[in-house]
Amino acid sequence: MDLERKLERWEKEGFIDQVAVKKILTFENQQPKPTKLPLLLIIGLIFFSLAVFSFIAANWQVMPALLKIGLVQLLMWMFYGFGYLAERKNFGRAIIFRLIGLAMFGASIIVTVQAFHFSVSNSILPWAIFIVTLAHYFYWRQFPYALIAFIAGAFVLMMSIPTMSWFEWGCFLAVTLAWFYFSHIDSSMVFSWSLLFASGLMLWILVDYETILWPIWTLFTLVFLLLSVPEKERLLGSLSLVVGAFQLVVYLTVRGAMDLSIPEINLVESISLLVVSVGVLVLTYLRFQSITWISVLGAVGLLLFDDTAIALAIVAEIVALAYLVIAHRQDRPLTFGFVYFIAVQFVLYFIYAWERLDMSLFFLVGAILLFVLSGIAWYVNRKKAGVAT
Amino acid sequence: MRSFLFPALQSLFIALIVLSFYATSWLGEQFVLRAEPFDPVDPFYGEYVLLQYPDLKPSDSLQNGEIYFTLKQGDDGYAVIDRIDSQAFFGSIRGTYYNELITAPQLEQYYVEQGTGPDLEKARNLAVTLDVSPWGTIRPVYLDVRQD
Repeated sequence: MDLERKLERWEKEGFIDQVAVKKILTFENQQPKPTKLPLLLIIGLIFFSLAVFSFIAANWQVMPALLKIGLVQLLMWMFYGFGYLAERKNFGRAIIFRLIGLAMFGASIIVTVQAFHFSVSNSILPWAIFIVTLAHYFYWRQFPYALIAFIAGAFVLMMSIPTMSWFEWGCFLAVTLAWFYFSHIDSSMVFSWSLLFASGLMLWILVDYETILWPIWTLFTLVFLLLSVPEKERLLGSLSLVVGAFQLVVYLTVRGAMDLSIPEINLVESISLLVVSVGVLVLTYLRFQSITWISVLGAVGLLLFDDTAIALAIVAEIVALAYLVIAHRQDRPLTFGFVYFIAVQFVLYFIYAWERLDMSLFFLVGAILLFVLSGIAWYVNRKKAGVAT
Repeated sequence: MRSFLFPALQSLFIALIVLSFYATSWLGEQFVLRAEPFDPVDPFYGEYVLLQYPDLKPSDSLQNGEIYFTLKQGDDGYAVIDRIDSQAFFGSIRGTYYNELITAPQLEQYYVEQGTGPDLEKARNLAVTLDVSPWGTIRPVYLDVRQD
């Protein structure tokens, strides 16, 4: 037995004495053993299930709608029952049974849709799965429910794109905010934060005003949300930085590389964004210094005009370099900074050097110089460290 | 035992959806609409026939977008539009008017038995029987080849 081997090893090392070993073994032997189903019974059950499913499949077309729905509902109840028994009688894994039960709920929705020719061009059904899964999450607090709730939430947003109303948007925001605030595990908080960000993008559909700055407005709003959970600065700060960096690269790409027809940029909105970004800068500098960088996005509105677009490239480049240098000096991980730096170089390369060999050579020489300089710096640092020791 | 509240509420939700459709049939009126098929198959929900309705004609003043209408039985037994408006009114069916065609979300597609879709498509002349509740919900109940 694994435990006995470990105890023997710990006893040999002198961590515990023989009395403790005996006590532990007596205690463990008194614990109820997980009940195992006999192998033949499992095989029999599998064959029986296959026979039942084959019978249902063969007669599916001629079954009345209510019988079809009833059968799927029966399966749902069966799996929730197994989940309950698994918890009580200590066999199998309750969460697996409940997840299958949840899937059966989804299946009964699909069967109902099919049987009654229910329209799928609305978000009622994803809403049902979203709410039910969230309820599962808040009751059992397990990661898979959070993941399914995230997927269902994303479906709610996607399905409601053509028909989204302020009421539905408000409901979604309220539910997702509650999920965010009462999340206990990090992954659940990341999922709910992502849905909150996506609901900000829905303003493109809701508001009768053409602007490409909704993502930045949304991100700035979510910074203020950090005030309610300051202890999660590390997690949500990293997320905000990743989304902010991604946004800057996308704006740079849209403005520079593609000949897209950007809706006319509103100067008043751009200036308002800059003013708000000063507020974000002050707030982040005082409370959440790790994400002060995202206030740079406030300048994007003013940098999207034809005359100022070159400055967007310069800002992106400076931010990428400055972030790397500061992260290096503060001994923080450099992976994120490097990925962002490389992304910016790629975008700039495609904007300015594509189809221009002389320019691409210029960048190539620049890159080689950068590698040489960083190599020299690394060598000097290493030598200094050696002298110090 | 509290964990059983979840399947109970889920079953209640499904039961309410089913009940709403049966209520449409119990309390509503039945119409038969002339229908024409176009384009089937949904990998997720199964085989269905997309339908359009030649008898559902708009009024001249109507603009493309969301519309509300009621049905009445025409002289030949097939349903035609009784009242149509761009504003909702009690008992109206919510639909859309686009490209000279009027349809409602539930009238647009009809799920059929596996394998019967292509035959229905070939037949071209179809008839949809549907129940319409006094509050404007609809329940398509039957799709068949039109004999006239």
